[in-house]
Amino acid sequence: MSGTYSSKNQSMSRKAVLRRRLQNITIIIISLTAFILFWWGLAILLDLQYLPPPDEVFDAFIKSFTTPDPNIGTTMDQNIVASFQRFIQGFALAFVVALPLGLLMGFVPWVDTFSRPIVEIFRPIPPIAWVPFFFVAFGAFWNPVLTVFIGVFFPLLTNVILGVRSVDESLLDAARTQGAGRVLLFSKVILPFSIPYLMTGVTIGMGVGWMCIVAAEWFGAIGGGVGYYILVQENVGMYPNMFAGIAVVAILGLLTVSLSGYLEKIIRRRMGMS
Amino acid sequence: MILSIRDLKKAFPKKDGEMVAIDNFNLEVKEGEFICILGPSGCGKTTLLRIVAGLETATSGVMLLNDKPIVKPGSDRGMVFQEFALFPWRTVRKNVEFGLEIKKIPTNKRTEISQRYIDLVGLKGFENYHPHQLSGGMKQRVGIARALANEPMLLLMDEPFGALDAQTRNLMQKELLRIWQETKKTVIFITHSVDEACYLADRIVVMTSRPGTIKETFQITWGRPRDRASVEFANLRKTILAELEREVFSSPATITGVERD
Repeated sequence: MSGTYSSKNQSMSRKAVLRRRLQNITIIIISLTAFILFWWGLAILLDLQYLPPPDEVFDAFIKSFTTPDPNIGTTMDQNIVASFQRFIQGFALAFVVALPLGLLMGFVPWVDTFSRPIVEIFRPIPPIAWVPFFFVAFGAFWNPVLTVFIGVFFPLLTNVILGVRSVDESLLDAARTQGAGRVLLFSKVILPFSIPYLMTGVTIGMGVGWMCIVAAEWFGAIGGGVGYYILVQENVGMYPNMFAGIAVVAILGLLTVSLSGYLEKIIRRRMGMS
Repeated sequence: MILSIRDLKKAFPKKDGEMVAIDNFNLEVKEGEFICILGPSGCGKTTLLRIVAGLETATSGVMLLNDKPIVKPGSDRGMVFQEFALFPWRTVRKNVEFGLEIKKIPTNKRTEISQRYIDLVGLKGFENYHPHQLSGGMKQRVGIARALANEPMLLLMDEPFGALDAQTRNLMQKELLRIWQETKKTVIFITHSVDEACYLADRIVVMTSRPGTIKETFQITWGRPRDRASVEFANLRKTILAELEREVFSSPATITGVERD
């Protein structure tokens, strides 16, 4: 009895979910169209040099991939690769430092007590505030990498610590009664439990990382870069190109964040922790 | 005696002095015995079990498992938790094999042992499921299999069916008796259900409210399965309930309702 009732209920809700989704997609299309029309209207109405209409930006966007920019000498895909490399390097650096440190801070009280004051001093500083210093001290190559590192490091660290601290006390008890000592508690319970939290940190870090890379590249970038491209276009008054660069950043950010969010979801599901 | 508890005392430090949870507790457990410990909330019965498990330390007293003092948790005592405490990222099989991995038992032997206990608890075919795909009763079957896979001397069960609905609970009690009869384990079972204790136990230990100590023990000599509708079952239940009720009303902790065990 209850079985048939609930299954009927479920199929009805599935239909409702489908309808809701369709509705949402329609709303999204309307909203994007409205945005582009608004932009278009504004550009025509104001007729400002630095606010080109969408069609001009779109042309510049396409062209930026096919012909090298005369001022930088690179095509957009080369810029993307250059920025992406820095992004990955900074990210990897943050990962290898934040993961072990976060696990230790979460698990070993004195490490936490020792590191906490230093972490708390540096955490509130916007990563971009470091850009001038990094540029002077480490040069144009390391500057964007280090800025991304700082930007990604704190969300990763915070989430790993949160993961370690969120471990169910009963899981630890269960492992202890199964004969696990401190090391095994760590490797067999705390570490796997923290992985979904780490993934949350990765997703947040992805978003922050792109902001960092764009700002850091304004101080100069060897071999091009999307942020560098945006700045140069402004300097030479090529505003459609400037907006094309902004669009590229938006797309890259959206892609990496949603990819990482998707990955996070899959990992959570596969680990039975969604 | 497989387990001897003598003059056990457990006190927790408090702002003004200490809170004595268990005091003057003595218990001797025979091998193969099924003991239920019953008591009002906050009587320290869970604390008692955690001390036997080695998860908490006693303030004073002697605890011997096969004549050796208990100092820390170990796989010679398997524990089953009320909230199941299964590792969500591990499959049923991997959960059952947890202790075997820790003992570094080779993979093929591990699979053989885990399969034996998975079959024993009736989860054949669910080896590769994750805990979140299982019902409460099935989860606790995994919990029991995991505890038994280490072949412990003692099976410690902390209100293991407390989170289950009434029907599943009755079924699991039956299943537990079957498993107990097949494995001949010594069981210490914490519960606050008089009915459950009367159905399961060889001996029921009724605890007083805080500080927890033994108020009375009931030896049950009836065979199994027991008939809940029988007159002697009803009478025993009535007697124990009356005992407990007196305890509950004399306990300030339960009246204020602040403390839990």
